[in-house]
Amino acid sequence: MRPRSLVMFMALVALFLGGASYVHAQAPSAPPVEFPYTGNRTAVWIVAQLHILFAGFILGAPIFVVICEWLGYRKQDPRYDRLAKEVTKVTMILYSMTALTGGLFIFVLLATYPQFTTWLINHFFMVFAVLYPLLFIGETFVLYMYFYTWDAWKGSKKARHIALGVLLNLIGTITLFVIDGPTSFMNTPVKAEGISPAEFLETATLWDKIFNYSWMPLNIHRLVGNVTFGGFIAGMIAAYMYMASAKDEERSYYDWMGFVGNLIGVGALLFLPFMGYLLSYELCDYDASICPYMMADQLSMFFEMQGAMIGLIFLASNYYIWLSMKRIQGVEKVRMTILSPIVMVALPVVMTKVMTDYPVPDPTSLMFLLPLLLSPVILGRFIPLTVSAGTVIKVGFLMIVVGDAIWMTPHGFVPTGAKLVAELELPSDWNFLALMPAKNSAAFTLVFVTVVNYVIYNRAISQGTIVWGKIDFVSQFVLIFLAFSSIWTMGLMGAVRSLLRKYFHTYNLMPDFTAESFTPTLSYSAWWITGITVVFFSVVTFAILVTLKASHPKDHAPEGSPVPAGAK
Amino acid sequence: MGKVIFKIIVGLVIGGGLWFGTMALEFPPVFRWMFFAYAMLGTLVFIILEAPSMKPLSGVKALTATLVFYVVLCIAYIAGASLWPQYDPEDEKGKIEKILKPKRAATEQGKADELIARAKALDEQTKALAERVKALGGDQAPAAQAGGSPGTTPVTGASGDVLKIGEEQWQLQECYNCHKLRGEGGKKRGPELDNIGSLLSVDDIKLKIIDPKSWMAEGYEKDFEKGKMPDKYKDLMEDKDIVALATWLGTFKNTSVNTPKPIKKK
Repeated sequence: MRPRSLVMFMALVALFLGGASYVHAQAPSAPPVEFPYTGNRTAVWIVAQLHILFAGFILGAPIFVVICEWLGYRKQDPRYDRLAKEVTKVTMILYSMTALTGGLFIFVLLATYPQFTTWLINHFFMVFAVLYPLLFIGETFVLYMYFYTWDAWKGSKKARHIALGVLLNLIGTITLFVIDGPTSFMNTPVKAEGISPAEFLETATLWDKIFNYSWMPLNIHRLVGNVTFGGFIAGMIAAYMYMASAKDEERSYYDWMGFVGNLIGVGALLFLPFMGYLLSYELCDYDASICPYMMADQLSMFFEMQGAMIGLIFLASNYYIWLSMKRIQGVEKVRMTILSPIVMVALPVVMTKVMTDYPVPDPTSLMFLLPLLLSPVILGRFIPLTVSAGTVIKVGFLMIVVGDAIWMTPHGFVPTGAKLVAELELPSDWNFLALMPAKNSAAFTLVFVTVVNYVIYNRAISQGTIVWGKIDFVSQFVLIFLAFSSIWTMGLMGAVRSLLRKYFHTYNLMPDFTAESFTPTLSYSAWWITGITVVFFSVVTFAILVTLKASHPKDHAPEGSPVPAGAK
Repeated sequence: MGKVIFKIIVGLVIGGGLWFGTMALEFPPVFRWMFFAYAMLGTLVFIILEAPSMKPLSGVKALTATLVFYVVLCIAYIAGASLWPQYDPEDEKGKIEKILKPKRAATEQGKADELIARAKALDEQTKALAERVKALGGDQAPAAQAGGSPGTTPVTGASGDVLKIGEEQWQLQECYNCHKLRGEGGKKRGPELDNIGSLLSVDDIKLKIIDPKSWMAEGYEKDFEKGKMPDKYKDLMEDKDIVALATWLGTFKNTSVNTPKPIKKK
């Protein structure tokens, strides 16, 4: 879609939104559309999730792209510039898909839940009819400018081009924050002590409605999640192109691109568990009854599945580091202080104890945890005992399995607390394994192990020689796995966040009177999440094939020639 | 191959150790199998780490391998999610219907629906009556009506109904998620309530439901400060339902249970 058509489209959407309440007022008794087979709720779910996936990519990828462009400028390495431009090409196609699914989302919402949609638009009229369209149009202009000035603004003008990229990201981030207003409002509408939400809403300003309990945690969570998303999709693009490459130079380049994509994806991933924890903490703080619904009752098994997915993602990302290490010549010489594997093993035990005694957000826990986490760096210099990199990484894998085991240990193997019987319940002495301190310690362990593995990797490339293009072929499937699994997990957690509203469109304010306002099963949800992920992947694959493979020049300059580590 | 067999043996030994260890610690069988499965996962991870390198694929082979990989992932994720215990939505549907019924009735659409439902019911009654009259020959009034059946005023135990509604509200509002009662529910989030009737009057209990900041349970100072008890029931529940719930709770006077002392805060 060209800029002009996009602008026209967004203007139409704005007009449509502006006129929505009027149209609805003309036909109050018009029955909502009934979607066959899926039902209305699932129809909205499919379109909304697809829109969020495309939107997540077009907001996350530019962050990734500008970081790469800046690295290329700073290191004078043309590979970064090529990587950034290739990801931008894919982003251009997916940008159109974001607009398309966004428009479709509004149409489906208005057709299926006209009363609620109109109510929400009325409360956020300025956002839906003015701010969001303007930001989207602004982002469209800047994105196209950013792409089409790529070759013109080279050399001395490169800094200007990077600044344009930063502006693009600024607009993108503001767009995300603005649209998160109504989204988070549906979960945690503005409220005040002693006044009913409906009464308070009548006097609330737009800012009151936007700046609700879960707004900022959702902003941060989505922002970090989008960077992870962008990184892993870049890894997937690299995997496809690596497989399709016939020349060694191309394979070298796409091997390198896969590594960079994964590095940025994992770098952001390390923060995600904590951002997710912050969001759920705020949700529970808003209404304590959300917590048991989420963690102990109807949605508890969704969190078991989340634990399984996160465990697999951390296993895969560390396996990728392992495979990357295997292609470094001289890696066997790399050694590390023995304190690192000791801390890895001790971390879940110590942290569970400390966080039980000083629960979050008590800062006292940091007095115990920070020295423990920093001890390999500080004390390691004075302790001569070292172990090989391979041993440290293997201990790390063991602790990832242990960490995931702790994360996934439930209080009971039942879908709700009401069905708990002794034969399915954790013994009371071991109940701490199912509580938040243990889960936090598991998350910390996964993150700590991954950080240590990257430290080892850095030492390996500084002491040895990395040969790009010679990575084990299975690594390409690891990159695809990471992209697919992280997006599947996004879908799962997105479903959880929406379902937390229970039988309300807007929690405690706007009830959902339809017959579909119940909690679906995890199995049913998994079918749709998988279907949505597959559709998204099909479109992304198409975009990659069209933009990169089909238009790939055969005589491309070999930027990705095998080079020693650290070479510019 | 020898290394793989060795790793499998080590994995089985660790898995077996976990299985018997957790059995000794009186973990239920499902948890023993869970720990055993983690040991097997660890074994698989260590086998994969030392696996020989994969030969590069290209062209149709690479495409086929990628597609097969996606299919495997889809099947694994759907099957994996389906293996966990599944919540039955039927458990919730009846509850939601009961909670939302008064709210729906209060809306314009609800009022219209109610009128339509009443009209339909009247229409059906008229049709049934007409058929009955027709069956009797059209000139005889139904015996029951002609004779005037004795009044069948239902014998309602008003207080019994209130208590029943109160107990139903306990279930519908899922109070058991935070409060233990009759030995069931609660995760120490809120005080155990078996003796609440001895400590608070029905009006005070009602006040606590309407305004959670009105009373504080001794020992729950932190939770009180954080406002753990949701301040939403006055908006979600009908007044008669709050009274019923308070009345029902007021009947719990089991002094053997240590229900914390309520402290008046407002």
